[in-house]
Amino acid sequence: MVKITLMSEAASEGASGGCQCGAVRYRIVGSFGHAGICHCRMCQKAFGSWGAALVSLPVAGLAWTRGRPAEFRSSAIVARGFCRDCGTPLFMRQDGDANYEIAIGSLDDPNGIPPLDRQSGVESKCRWFDRMAALPRETTESYRSPEDMRKLKSLQHPDHDTEHWP
Amino acid sequence: MTKPTTGGCQCGAVRYQIDGPFNNPHICHCRMCQKAFGNYFAALVGSLRDSFHWTKGAPGFFRSSSIVQRGFCRDCGTPLSFAYDHSKHIAVSIGSLDDPSAVTPERHYGIEARRPAFTLLHSLAGSRTEDDVPPEMMAKLKSRQHLDRD
Repeated sequence: MVKITLMSEAASEGASGGCQCGAVRYRIVGSFGHAGICHCRMCQKAFGSWGAALVSLPVAGLAWTRGRPAEFRSSAIVARGFCRDCGTPLFMRQDGDANYEIAIGSLDDPNGIPPLDRQSGVESKCRWFDRMAALPRETTESYRSPEDMRKLKSLQHPDHDTEHWP
Repeated sequence: MTKPTTGGCQCGAVRYQIDGPFNNPHICHCRMCQKAFGNYFAALVGSLRDSFHWTKGAPGFFRSSSIVQRGFCRDCGTPLSFAYDHSKHIAVSIGSLDDPSAVTPERHYGIEARRPAFTLLHSLAGSRTEDDVPPEMMAKLKSRQHLDRD
């Protein structure tokens, strides 16, 4: 098994996160558990993507600090939280589970989690997933002109808590 | 005539159809795409706006920057679309396609923000859903996700 070490000094307690628009924000007041990725077709659709990257966290270890997520019950036993104002997927939780599975990309520091140790739902893995690393690559500045970059005023919430937003 | 491609959100409130060819299938690591998709990176494929149609419901839109609009389902959150205001093209999230293996990304964008975990994702130990979920749980797991067709 491949172990990846990504633990940063900011791990768990004190970490924060939220959606793209900033209407929903949370703070981590517990310790992260297992982290991994899931390719199942439910996660693909919920995240509009190749799958999901998730880290578990005790329900009591998360405090909503601004707004509240909306929930969609994707199956009879699972609820998925998201921001109603911008759509960012935030978590999934199985009924009765003591843990949330937090969307890693919604963390302000997605590197600040325990080592990823597993990929699940591989029966639905996109055919192209394992070959992604070999694709040609570009930085944002290389395909956006300096004028574009100046015009591109981000309206995304910053990667830290704010007293007032926007 | 290209066969129409269909897709939509998880709950089925919003559906779309693409009547023309795909343009620029790619993945994007930029921090905007990470937050919008709650993920390490986004997978997107474009088409001409003229050949793209919302066929059921209407997405919500969030202006993630002064020049970009992102579409999503207000009822279930699925990230659905990305478009520059000035562009003739609109991109859809590959995971929202009814067949996400139908297009293969050809390029990485936003690599300045690529996460260290990215290059190792494919090498993690893997399991199938039925290996992880006991049969009695699978029996209870009645999916409420919209089918992968209209």
